[in-house]
Amino acid sequence: MKILIIEDEEELARSIAEYLSEENYLCEFAASYNQALDKIEMYQYDCILLDIMLPDGNGMKLLEELKLQDKQDGVIIISAKNALDDKIKGLQIGADDYLTKPFHLSELTARIYSIIRRKQFSNSNIVRQNELLIDLLAKTVSVNNDPVTLTKKEFDLLIYFIGNKNRVISKSTLAEHLSGDFADMLDNHDFVYAHVKNLKKKLYDAGSGHYLKTVYGTGYKWMGS
Amino acid sequence: MKPLLSKTTRPFLIYVLVVLLISVPVYYFVVDTIWKNELDEHNRIIADKTAYALNQLKLSGDTLLKSIVLWNSIQPGTNIQSISSSGTIKDSVYTIEKQKSYSEKPNIDRFRCLSTIIYINNKQYLFTVETNIEESKETIAIIAITTIFFFIIIVAGLLVLNRKLSITIWRPFRNTLDKLKTFNLNHQTKIDFDKTDTSEFEELSHSLRELIAHNISVYKTQKEFTENASHELQTPLAILKSKLDILLQNKDLTERQYHIAEEMNKALIRSSRINKNLLLLAKIDNSQFDSSENLKFDMLLQQSIETLEEHFEQKNISVSTTAVPDLSLNGNGSLTEILINNLLLNAIRHTLPNGSITLTLTKSSFEVTNSGLKELDKDLLFKRFSSASADNSGSGLGLAIIKEICRFQKWSVRYRFENGHHIFSVYF
Repeated sequence: MKILIIEDEEELARSIAEYLSEENYLCEFAASYNQALDKIEMYQYDCILLDIMLPDGNGMKLLEELKLQDKQDGVIIISAKNALDDKIKGLQIGADDYLTKPFHLSELTARIYSIIRRKQFSNSNIVRQNELLIDLLAKTVSVNNDPVTLTKKEFDLLIYFIGNKNRVISKSTLAEHLSGDFADMLDNHDFVYAHVKNLKKKLYDAGSGHYLKTVYGTGYKWMGS
Repeated sequence: MKPLLSKTTRPFLIYVLVVLLISVPVYYFVVDTIWKNELDEHNRIIADKTAYALNQLKLSGDTLLKSIVLWNSIQPGTNIQSISSSGTIKDSVYTIEKQKSYSEKPNIDRFRCLSTIIYINNKQYLFTVETNIEESKETIAIIAITTIFFFIIIVAGLLVLNRKLSITIWRPFRNTLDKLKTFNLNHQTKIDFDKTDTSEFEELSHSLRELIAHNISVYKTQKEFTENASHELQTPLAILKSKLDILLQNKDLTERQYHIAEEMNKALIRSSRINKNLLLLAKIDNSQFDSSENLKFDMLLQQSIETLEEHFEQKNISVSTTAVPDLSLNGNGSLTEILINNLLLNAIRHTLPNGSITLTLTKSSFEVTNSGLKELDKDLLFKRFSSASADNSGSGLGLAIIKEICRFQKWSVRYRFENGHHIFSVYF
């Protein structure tokens, strides 16, 4: 899997690459508009992470360029701006997702995972782990072909874990993922625990293996191959 | 408080009054002196003329005596008296006051007298002449009446002038004042002061223009600073967050180190949130939102309640909602969503477990009522970073954002405490 990281902040780009490399993603960098333009024209990527504020140009232009060349690369805009207009414009031009800085790498990975799955398996997007079967398109889960009914939040959590296999995900990160903008307004993050507990119980009761482990007391890790 | 003009009028009038009062005796003295001088001259002329005329007649001694007797009896105010030639009598000038001889009524008249020696046919005679002069009392009275008359004219004139001047001369000042009253630093509309030909007002307008321009620029810089600072902070925060995420994946991480990293993570999430909220506030301040969207308030409220349902359940808070259906308002959709979420989250945070929250939506207001222990400080409540309660886990900006959103959408928000309930009301 090839990822192009268009980001002028070197440290951030390196962190992203380091985190992604363990998932067997191959990362390339572009720190400026012109570098990015060259790479986009020459190569095909599974996913492009695009910072729209580049020192020598607007990332939106790159997005237009991609569309002009009819490229099918998935694009996630990463921006320091939380402007709704930019978000809408970006998604309209052809970005697949929009992430505001600062973000968790697990959040980014989960989104990259979803986009790549969607692009590559547009007809039947099914993830299988032994007896567990997840249909990303239909949003259904089954264990040993028996359907498991999950709430929207539980399904969301499951996808998040699948997208971050073998990674330690902390409770506060999950809280931020689940409650979005108002995680910090809440006194405690026990609701995360409640959702995870329910998800675990539903999967185990249906006969799934114990893939979701609790680590260090408050962190979680999905064990997968 | 008195208008400026009436403040200057009073001392001015007092000054005029004092000057006029002093002028009365001065005028009297001057007028009286002139009178006396003129009458002395007049008496002298009469004495000289009488002596000359009698000498011209060349009367014999006998006829002269008869003529003098006749003169003394019919010529009023003069008297010729023969005197012995041995004594030398000096001329004398004096003033006397006496009762009129022919009048019944007591009527004192004042006279200016001259008694001098005249020579008729080379014989010495004492000639006395008396001329009526205005009495001091009468002179003083007339001068006083005249003075009072002028004083009244001055007072009346001043009052009329003042009224007219305060309307015309002060007009530019009032215009300036009215414009200043409507000035709002938030809107930053430039003020154009009217041109005047009064140098003081022109100077005032000039200073105000400079002051306002300076204030606007400082205000802009400050707002830009907030926005820029928040923007610039996003990147280092992003780096920090990503490094922490990588640290958490370290195989050699001990549980203790994990917890330290997790605490750092929490603090980081919180500072990111504060930063995002500051950015949001700066954007509302800079009016970077469209406030003319048509929004369905009841729908937004329903959405918020659904999103937050699990949090209500977790604290076992019972929620009762009464809402008018199909309430459409003008405002900004995403801001209103933030407004509702913040109000609900605020209620969730500050309601004790097993408490209750009541949401009331009417055509003109939205009220969030939750049970609480004691009243919060109204002055601090909506200020940035000033927690009105002991609980410090929030970003300290939630209520400030609510207030700014209300201000931006021309709504108003108020807090009151009634019967053990906190009530936050938003009026559309």
